Amino acid sequence: MKRSIVGVSALVVGAVVLAGCSPSVGEGQGDEGEGSGIVKVVLWPGPEGDAMADVVDDYNEGVGKEAGITVQMTLLSRQDTFSKEATLMATKSSDQDIYFVASYNVGQFSSALDPLTGVDTANYFPVAVDGLSQDGELYALPLDVSNHFLLYRQDLIEGLLNDPAQVETYRSVAEQAIGEARDPKPADQWDWDDFKAMAAYFSESANPASPTRYGTILPAKNLLYNTMIWNDVLWGSGGSWTNDAGEANLNTPEAAAAVNVYADIYTNGWTSPDSSQAEFPETQAALKSGNVAFGLQWSAGFAELNDPERSPDVAGKIAIATVPGGKTHVHALAVAMNKYSTNKSAARNFLDYLATTEAMGIYAQSGGIPAMPAVLAANEDLNPAFSQIAESIDKYGYSVPVFPNTFQAYSKLAEDLSSAWIGEVPAEEALATANSDLANLLQD
Amino acid sequence: MATRGSKVDRSAKWVLGAPLIAFTAMFVVWPVAQGVQTGLYDFTLQNPEITFNGLENFRRVFSLPGFWDAVRFTALFAMVVTAVEAVLGFGLALLMNRRFPGKKLFFTALLLPIMIAPSLLGIMFRLLLNGDIGLAPAVLSALGLDISLFSPGTVVPLLIVLDVLQWTPFVFLIVYSGLQSFPTDVLEAAQIDGAGRLRTLTSLVIPIMKPVIAAAVFLRMIDAIRTFDVIYVLTAGGPGRTTTTLSIFIYKTAFESGDFGLAAAISTVVLLALLPLVPLVVRRIAQPEGSRS
Repeated sequence: MKRSIVGVSALVVGAVVLAGCSPSVGEGQGDEGEGSGIVKVVLWPGPEGDAMADVVDDYNEGVGKEAGITVQMTLLSRQDTFSKEATLMATKSSDQDIYFVASYNVGQFSSALDPLTGVDTANYFPVAVDGLSQDGELYALPLDVSNHFLLYRQDLIEGLLNDPAQVETYRSVAEQAIGEARDPKPADQWDWDDFKAMAAYFSESANPASPTRYGTILPAKNLLYNTMIWNDVLWGSGGSWTNDAGEANLNTPEAAAAVNVYADIYTNGWTSPDSSQAEFPETQAALKSGNVAFGLQWSAGFAELNDPERSPDVAGKIAIATVPGGKTHVHALAVAMNKYSTNKSAARNFLDYLATTEAMGIYAQSGGIPAMPAVLAANEDLNPAFSQIAESIDKYGYSVPVFPNTFQAYSKLAEDLSSAWIGEVPAEEALATANSDLANLLQD
Repeated sequence: MATRGSKVDRSAKWVLGAPLIAFTAMFVVWPVAQGVQTGLYDFTLQNPEITFNGLENFRRVFSLPGFWDAVRFTALFAMVVTAVEAVLGFGLALLMNRRFPGKKLFFTALLLPIMIAPSLLGIMFRLLLNGDIGLAPAVLSALGLDISLFSPGTVVPLLIVLDVLQWTPFVFLIVYSGLQSFPTDVLEAAQIDGAGRLRTLTSLVIPIMKPVIAAAVFLRMIDAIRTFDVIYVLTAGGPGRTTTTLSIFIYKTAFESGDFGLAAAISTVVLLALLPLVPLVVRRIAQPEGSRS
């Protein structure tokens, strides 16, 4: 009895103490600092981290040395960089001076970042700058830019276009698939009905003579990055997340059509059932293996597919075209000032350097894809895709609205729609849920 | 009357236990207390001002979309894998509890899955089972079996099979260790009395091994409820919320929604739900039936 009383009392006291103290966080005050010393920057490993390392070396040996500033990069794991940064931001840490962010999470992180002022944004893709701005303020400096392409087997598509017998078969398959006996078109002229018809034509289930097992691979996994790809279908079908008044806009025929592009392909067997768990690596594997004729993929995927050592079966056969519907998601990977940094003036010196074409030229030469069209144009010999990336972003790029819950919205839409993408749930039902969730997130 | 000997004993247990107590206080009790505390606050990434909101987060937990789906899937998944692994692990332990050629090699191979980090195993499975480049689908195809391992109809059984492959050796190891200290005189007496193998197993081995089996089942059940890595790498909780476990749900609440207070509240609710099991199991393990305390 005595032990129980002591135990319960201890619990009550503990609860009162816990309730009275707030969670441990930093003091919550940044500082300009002395304009010199160490500046710590977070990056993630991979092509961006490798390219940035060369830029940092150049800065430390030149501009930084003159100013008495040394930049140190902190490489976190690629998978968990943003989670770890979120923890640092939530605790108002001053450990890092500059964070690595992206268009899709800058809204969520904005309360822990200082807006950047005095930046000449003329050198950047406007869509990249828009994607990092909230309420008219730029919160991060674009570093690397990503968009989507239609990657396709040029040999197979051209073979189809140039063979009258195949054209006839295609027309017959298209009539079954989309209700219209249309002629095949070059990949850069496809709309979403062409995409579906081609998926059927290059699938053994609809065309036993197909040279590939499936027409395409769909990135239909419940993953926020797959929402970014599906957004191309949505925007390309005339839809969008919000209307002109900024209200949720997913309960529309355009959005339903966009969901049904995926659902029709999946339920008709024109893509592997494994598409339900597919994202970037699975799309690469499907294209590399020769099992599919085309797929929507991030720009970073192209180089590997045309490398004879890494993709011996398809190297030299893969080409790039604009995403059907003429709309491609664009996001920028970027760097931003930590509001709680205690060396802001030195950090700003480094950010000013990063905003130059010289710095981004080094970045491009070291394997990055900078968000500056002039730098991409000047370095085309390094990566043949640069000119297509620049044109695609310039002509077809769009960015989703930036608000505090953008990151969560991507995740929520993947959760709400991924079952509909594979035909498990009717499109209208899933979109009603998604629209309601998006409306709540826009309001918060 | 307290003797000098018993005083020394009491002092000794505190001195010897001090490092573990300190470690537990620092790395278990304190973080758990902080977690519970975080649940009492409106603490989000989007709002830098942390404000006390009492039990509001806890109230929200039970009406969160997806929470009960996660509870259902986690409970079902944990029960099925624990049951299968308990039976298979016990069976393997009995089979291995004898001498045979190559036993050491087989024993080592059996333990390999539990030596690999779960997230790494998830990535390995993802490559192995990939429909286009994976070894498993290639073998199945060669055998004339055209099965898509990641289709909505097969993904849950697949996750169960992968968990069984990874964690059955854990149960096996605990039960096998228990069998090494099994009283052989009891078995000899049973043999003399003419008891057959099945009777010996059901009337002697299983009852005597109950505390060990209970420990293995309890540890495995708790781990199964906490499952995150393999499922997150393979399915990210999808399609939709089909394979979202409580751990994935909490992770997404914290790091995708940016709501640390709510995530902490969900974690605390799960902890409180599981806490009543602990005394039951401890009693079973520490005080087996028929023994004096």
